[in-house]
Amino acid sequence: MNRPAPIGLLRATLALLRKDLLIEWRTRARLNAIVFFALATLLMFSFALGPDTRLLEKNAGGYFWLAILFASVLALGESFRVESENACMDGVRLAPADARAIYLSKALGNALLLVALGTLLLPVMVALYGVKVVTGFVDLGCVLLLGSLALSAPGTVYAAISSNARARDVLLPLLLFPLVIPALLSAAKATTLVLQGDPMNQLNSWLGLLLGFNLIYWGVGFLLFPRIIED
Amino acid sequence: MNKLIKWGLPLAGLGVLAAGWWLGLAWAPPDREMGDVQRIMYVHVPLQWMAMVAMLLNFVAAVSYLLRGNASWKLDSTAESAAEVGLLLGTLGMVTGAIWGRPTWGVYWSWDPRLTSEAIMLVTYTGYLVLRRFVEDPDKRATWSAVVAILGAINLPIVWFSVRWWRSLHQVQSSPKTVDPQMVLPLRVSAIGLLLITIFFLITRYRLALAERQAEVALPDALPEASGSVVSNAHKVA
Amino acid sequence: MTTLMTLGVLAQVGSGRIQGGWGYVWSCYGITVAALVLYSLSLWLRRPQAPQDAKE
Repeated sequence: MNRPAPIGLLRATLALLRKDLLIEWRTRARLNAIVFFALATLLMFSFALGPDTRLLEKNAGGYFWLAILFASVLALGESFRVESENACMDGVRLAPADARAIYLSKALGNALLLVALGTLLLPVMVALYGVKVVTGFVDLGCVLLLGSLALSAPGTVYAAISSNARARDVLLPLLLFPLVIPALLSAAKATTLVLQGDPMNQLNSWLGLLLGFNLIYWGVGFLLFPRIIED
Repeated sequence: MNKLIKWGLPLAGLGVLAAGWWLGLAWAPPDREMGDVQRIMYVHVPLQWMAMVAMLLNFVAAVSYLLRGNASWKLDSTAESAAEVGLLLGTLGMVTGAIWGRPTWGVYWSWDPRLTSEAIMLVTYTGYLVLRRFVEDPDKRATWSAVVAILGAINLPIVWFSVRWWRSLHQVQSSPKTVDPQMVLPLRVSAIGLLLITIFFLITRYRLALAERQAEVALPDALPEASGSVVSNAHKVA
Repeated sequence: MTTLMTLGVLAQVGSGRIQGGWGYVWSCYGITVAALVLYSLSLWLRRPQAPQDAKE
């Protein structure tokens, strides 16, 4: 039996990521859906709290990340639903693609989607909640990037699990929400600091916490993911 | 041996626990600041300790399950029983802690790192047990739940640190800690009693889980070399 | 009840020893005992059926 020479992890990851992004770009269904979902969530927060602009502005960082978190549940679930149609995952596995490459490509794709979502939500938040970016867009970009990576690393693992289980729509948030609490907490806190000024220089410690969360979960996900999709 | 576990262990546990609680409720002096309310310690602290032991057992079983090449139903059943017993003890620990908090702190709940981490731990293991219910294939259920258990356990220290930072920007309530030697003895006796009961629960629940697993995988196990052919198939696919 | 509330306030201030409060103590012990009994009952109800068959 002569198997084709396995291509490198990095090349396989990039090829799979390109495939996922291409599918996404051709329909844009997933991005459209989560953007409108997140927009609706942001609107709902303002209705639920009444038109108190000061209150909304003060809590804007938290609402922003809650909207992204809720939308990420939809995005993550969809990212594996695409593969379960026509048993695409088996095809990718037989290609043969390293399972770790599948993980990296899926998680990176999801993180990119969340970064795009966050970028689109920002102007809406400026309009709805009247927030100002005080410490600069570089800081905000860092928070958005690290926060999205932190949501998608464990989220991809859990989406792979729940996409094959019964009642997957219930299971994914139930598993994911308690796990991403440190990420949500630090991302929301860091965003609030970016939007309201950072007189005590706390931003870097929150970013450090997010970075540590990322390192741990990207590492653990990378190691454990092959065990999840093996048959 | 079987009889000893079935009757001796729970009876000994109940006896020791009753002795510990009697010492705590009647013999030990009331706390200097908290008064008689402090006697909740003899039920609350052992519950928390045993919940930690059970969750640690769950983590160890999950890690060793994933490290083992072939599926081990014993490890999987151990993990399942430890998670369920740990969830029970942890919930009780949190409820008793909240009741204790009312007269001492004035509130049932504070966003203290320990309380928050424990609440998140309970939600995590609820998710773990729900996941186990929702997956029919025993092989997949064992692997996936082991992954979930490991990710959830890694999360707890991170939660603890992040909540501590988060809280440090607010006021942190501190609870006075005074430990009289006459309080140590009832605490230890109740802890040993609860440990025996916990071991009894774990063994009983483990047997239950193992019987379920064996019923689920009865067919492949009955055939000789069935496990061998599964391994060679896995090798071909890999 | 009002005494309990004043005690709660006293406890928050942190002065003096809390008096009484046995209600809290008994409810803690009661809840724990009840839960342990209920769990034992659930274990007994879920006990593996027909162990004789398995031994054959």
